[in-house]
Amino acid sequence: MKYIPTIGIECHVQLCTKTKLFSEVDNDARGKEPNSCVSPVDYALPGMLPRLNGEAIKYAIRAGRAMNCEINASSRFDRKHYFYPDSPKGYQITQFYHPIIGEGYVELPSGTRVRIEHAHLEGDAGKLTHFKDYSLVDLNRVDTPLIEIVSMPDIHSAKDVHDYCKELWRLMCHAGVTNGDLYNGNMRFDVNVSVAEEGSEKLGTRAEIKNLNSFRSAERAAEFEIKRQTKLLEAGEKVKQETRGWDDATGKTSPQRSKEEAKDYRYMPEPDIPPINLTKEFIDTESAKLPLMPMDYRNLFHDIIKEDVLEVLLDYPQLMNKLGEIALSSHLGHTQGRSAELMVLDGTTSAISLTSNLFTSVLLAEEKSVEYLNDLPSAKDLNELAEMNEKKELSSTATKEVFLHLFDPQMKGRGTKQIAKELGLIQENDLGALEKIVDIVLAKPETQKAQIDFKAGEEKVIGFLVGQVMKESHGKANPSSVQEILRKKLK
Amino acid sequence: MDIKREDIIHLAELSNFSLPEKEIKSLQTDLQGIIRYISQLDELKVDDVEPTYQVFEMENVWREDEILPQEADREALLALTKEEKDNQIKVPKVL
Repeated sequence: MKYIPTIGIECHVQLCTKTKLFSEVDNDARGKEPNSCVSPVDYALPGMLPRLNGEAIKYAIRAGRAMNCEINASSRFDRKHYFYPDSPKGYQITQFYHPIIGEGYVELPSGTRVRIEHAHLEGDAGKLTHFKDYSLVDLNRVDTPLIEIVSMPDIHSAKDVHDYCKELWRLMCHAGVTNGDLYNGNMRFDVNVSVAEEGSEKLGTRAEIKNLNSFRSAERAAEFEIKRQTKLLEAGEKVKQETRGWDDATGKTSPQRSKEEAKDYRYMPEPDIPPINLTKEFIDTESAKLPLMPMDYRNLFHDIIKEDVLEVLLDYPQLMNKLGEIALSSHLGHTQGRSAELMVLDGTTSAISLTSNLFTSVLLAEEKSVEYLNDLPSAKDLNELAEMNEKKELSSTATKEVFLHLFDPQMKGRGTKQIAKELGLIQENDLGALEKIVDIVLAKPETQKAQIDFKAGEEKVIGFLVGQVMKESHGKANPSSVQEILRKKLK
Repeated sequence: MDIKREDIIHLAELSNFSLPEKEIKSLQTDLQGIIRYISQLDELKVDDVEPTYQVFEMENVWREDEILPQEADREALLALTKEEKDNQIKVPKVL
C-alpha cells in the first residue's frame, strides 16, 4: 500500500517596519538589551491605546501581491485570548475573520503551484527564556508586526516543503517587507503533515510541527513526520492529532504540550482598532511599488543566465535588482515597476551574462559580501565593463580586477574606463601598434630559435613567442590578436 | 444557555484564576443572570442588519511609522513588575 503525504504550511514573517504594529517604539531589537524596545502599550498597562502602524498595511499589500493574492478592501482586527507570560495583554491582536490578504498562489521553481488560503496581520508575542525553576520575559518582540501566511494543503513531498519555504523567503525579501534574517527568527514555519492511502479521498489525521526556523529543518521535520505516520498506519495504528516539536540535534519530532490545553481563544472584535477600509487607488498605488519578483527574473533571464547560477543569485535581491537595472537601462518607459512585456534587449544580454558571472565568482566568495551587497557599482559602470570585455579591451582576468576595484572606496567614483586605464589593464588591440611590438620581439636574438622551430612545424613554441610579446607590451596586448599576427608573419 | 459549574472552572483555568468553592457558586449565578439579560437581544430580528464591529464609525485610524520617545523607560516599566532579574520580568516556571 502506498501512502501519500499532504502538507500545508503556516509561515510567520516579521515585517521590517521602523516601529511596532501598535506602538511607536523601535521594531528592530536585534543586538539590543532585553526590554529596551518597549512602551506602556506593549506592557498593556491599563488605559493604554494601541495605534495601528499605517506602514504595516502597505507592507502587507506588497507581501500579498508578491504571492499573487487578492487584497481585501475591508479588513479588521480581533482579539485572540490566551493566558501566557509572553503576552501581557492576555490576548493577541490578529485578523481572524477578515484578513487583509486573500487567496493567491506561490509558484515554485519546479513549476508546482501552492495556493495561498489567506494571510493576515497580527502582533508577535514576547520572548521567554526558561530556567530550572523560573522563566524570564523579554517584551522587545511584543507586537512586532507579523503576517501569517496560510497555505492550502498543496504540498506532497519534503522537498517541496523546502522549496516552498525558500521561495516564500525570497518573495518576502524581494518585496522588501522583511529583513529575512532566519537566524533571528524573522521567518518561522509551522508544518502540518498528514498521510493517507493513495487514492483515498479523505485526508489523514494531521500533526503540526511548530516553530521551524530554517528551510532545512522544515524539510527534515516533514521527512521524519511522513515516515513516522506511514509506519503507524502500516502497523494498523492511528495518528494522533497533536502539536509536535522538532529537535535539530536528534532529527526527531516529539509531542509538545500546547500553550492552551483546550483551544478556546474566545475571539472577539478588537474595539481599540477601527476597521481598515482601503480604496482601489490605495491598493493599486502600493501594489505598483512591488519590484520584480523571482519568477519575473526567471522569465527575463532564462536564456542568459544558467539556471543553477540564477537560483543562487536569486537569494540576493540587491544583485538581482542590479541585473534588472542593467537589463532595463536601455528600456525607456519600462524602467519601473512590473510589466508583462518586459524583455531583455540584445544590447544588454552580454552585460547581464558577464555581470552575473562576476557576481557569483567574485562577490559571493568574498567575506565582505554583505558590505558589498549594499553598495553595488552602478548599472552604467557594469555595462561599460561588459562592453570593454566584449571589445577585448580587457582580458577576463583584467575584467575581474576592474570589477573588484569598482567597489574600492578610493576608486569607485571614477568610472570603469578611468579605473582600467589607471590600473594599466587596457589591452592593446590596435593592430598597427601590436605589429610594431611583434616586430621588436622577432628581431630579438633570443627568439630566433623559436622562429625556426615554428616554421619547421613545431606548433607549441607559438606560446613562447606570444609570451615574449606579452612581456614586451607589459601585459597589455590582446593574446589572440598577437597570435594572429605572429602566424601571419611566420608563414 | 445554562452556565454550568464546569464552565466557570474552565473559564477560570483559561484566565489562570484560582477560585474558592463558594465563588464558583456565586459566579455561576451571576453569569447566568448576565447571559439571561443579554439574551433579550435574541428577540430582535437582525437578518438585514450588518454586523457592528465598533460603535464610533471610525475607520483607518493609522499613525506614521516614526519612533517616538516613550514617557516610561525600561526601569520605570520593570519597576511595575512583581519581580525582575537581569532586566527581564521574572515569572514562575511555565511549561
